[in-house]
Amino acid sequence: MKKANLIGTFLLSMALAASVTGCKHHPPMTTPIPDDTGGPPKPATSGSASPDNGGVTSAPAPVNGEPIALGNGDYAPLFSGAHDEDAEKFKADTVYFDFDSATIKESEGAKLQDLANYFKDNKKVEGLIIAGNADVRGTEKYNLSLGERRALAAREYLANLGVDPHRLKTVTYGASRPIAQGHDESAYKENRRDDFVLVTPK
Amino acid sequence: MNYPTLLIAVLLGTGSLTAKPDEPIEIHKPTTFLVPVSISGFEGEIESVLAFDLSVLGMEITSPDKAAYLVSGSQDGRLQGSLAAAGTVHPLWARAYAGGAIRAQAHAFANDIVKEIRGTAPIFQTRIAFRLQEGNTTEIAVSDFDGYNAAVLTHDGTLVDGPCWLPGGRGLLYTSWKNGGEEILEHNLSSGERRVFAGYPGANLSPEVSPDGQKVAMILSRSGSPNLWVCNLDGSGLQQLTRTREEDSGPSWSPDSREICFVCRSGRAELQKVSASGGPARAVRVAGIYGNLTSPDWSPDGKWLAFTSGSGSFTICVAPAEGGDAQKLVAGEDPCWAPNSRTIVFCRRVSNKRILCLLDVPTKRVKDVRQISGSCSEPSWAR
Repeated sequence: MKKANLIGTFLLSMALAASVTGCKHHPPMTTPIPDDTGGPPKPATSGSASPDNGGVTSAPAPVNGEPIALGNGDYAPLFSGAHDEDAEKFKADTVYFDFDSATIKESEGAKLQDLANYFKDNKKVEGLIIAGNADVRGTEKYNLSLGERRALAAREYLANLGVDPHRLKTVTYGASRPIAQGHDESAYKENRRDDFVLVTPK
Repeated sequence: MNYPTLLIAVLLGTGSLTAKPDEPIEIHKPTTFLVPVSISGFEGEIESVLAFDLSVLGMEITSPDKAAYLVSGSQDGRLQGSLAAAGTVHPLWARAYAGGAIRAQAHAFANDIVKEIRGTAPIFQTRIAFRLQEGNTTEIAVSDFDGYNAAVLTHDGTLVDGPCWLPGGRGLLYTSWKNGGEEILEHNLSSGERRVFAGYPGANLSPEVSPDGQKVAMILSRSGSPNLWVCNLDGSGLQQLTRTREEDSGPSWSPDSREICFVCRSGRAELQKVSASGGPARAVRVAGIYGNLTSPDWSPDGKWLAFTSGSGSFTICVAPAEGGDAQKLVAGEDPCWAPNSRTIVFCRRVSNKRILCLLDVPTKRVKDVRQISGSCSEPSWAR
């Protein structure tokens, strides 16, 4: 009796498996969305890392506050491999923010355009670390999240200008990496910033 | 206050202890006033430990003739101490403390005194962890609650963010930049081993272990914004709890491990709560405080949220956990409750450095912990 049940279960499983396999006869109705809800970070795929994979960057402009997905686990491999970091090259393009804000100001747009142009003209073998920073007028955990939001704002902006987002890695330092040490607005405004570090594979 | 009545209450309470072993002894006495206490018969380290500990719990060290309680005893290889209520012939109790360091004996004695006078859980043999800054680098350090026996745990020469304790004090979680970007590391305190707890693309920030030890709340930006996520203590079951465009920060668990209070910046930083199993977040309505509200910490008894208000100059505040009128307590930031739900460790900025302080919430008494070189911030109390 028990054995018969087991065999029955087995046959049923086979039938179900066959019916699932049969689904591929139907045309896909929707574009699959990658699962973004679980599992450890996956290594970057070679597809997304390809310099020719420009189509990936067609991220829509932010609409009604919808964040652009980072692209779950697929930073270009150059960030984890041997690479050089140049923090001087884009020093003039440091982007500054208003107090307690992560909005890219109009005055900062030309700097980001400058960065986007560089990546268009340089075959995209390099990458960029975008480092978000805050002034000391927030508690530290708040500043860390604010710094990350500032880095992400520049990343979105560059992606919208056509830069492959897989080559744009964000990092936040909160208020731990100030440029100016003072305790007045002239110092604070220097510290509310995104720094850009060019990453070149070795 | 009528101290003979209190004495009776204490005796009755002790007598009924066997009937309800899980119920705290209910003693009705004022908690918001400093209680004058005298200390006699001790000197040196024992006397200074007793005076510090009792001050932390809102007691005023005074002469025997002005004291409501008299602490007395002797130190002769081992500590013998007794506690008496003023105006009574016999002490409430007398005990001897042997073994361990002399500071530990004094802390144990102070725990017994505080249990009698304040009725609160013992905290004088607990530990804190914090971030220690020297120059441009930050490391993780631990110490006794009073800043003694401090030890620096990391030597990475880079950045870390404030730690949180694993249950039982067996280890810490903290954010480290030692591999470039932010990762959350798990640091085993007995073996010294470290492993990457969370290393997702983007930010991995602000881990907080639930009081039941089952889950970890943290801020990840893998979805495109710094949002609140939760996972199991083994890293499995990752779930995104908030989906705001602006950044979230600073999670803290309810004592039943069912809810998380966190900071959401929508125009200004406000406190919100969300179920740890998902669902909509809702604002905690805090009256009487304006400006940014950040770094919440839920008291272990579930009644209060401590948090920081302000930008640039900060104030430690406390509000009912369900929302309501907030009290501004003292200047400082990053509060963290002790296991007694009465004491708070926080940091304040003094002449370009930060020091850790202990706040007795009902009396607003502040005591600085022992100073060590470097700037100390983001304290977490093992509880």
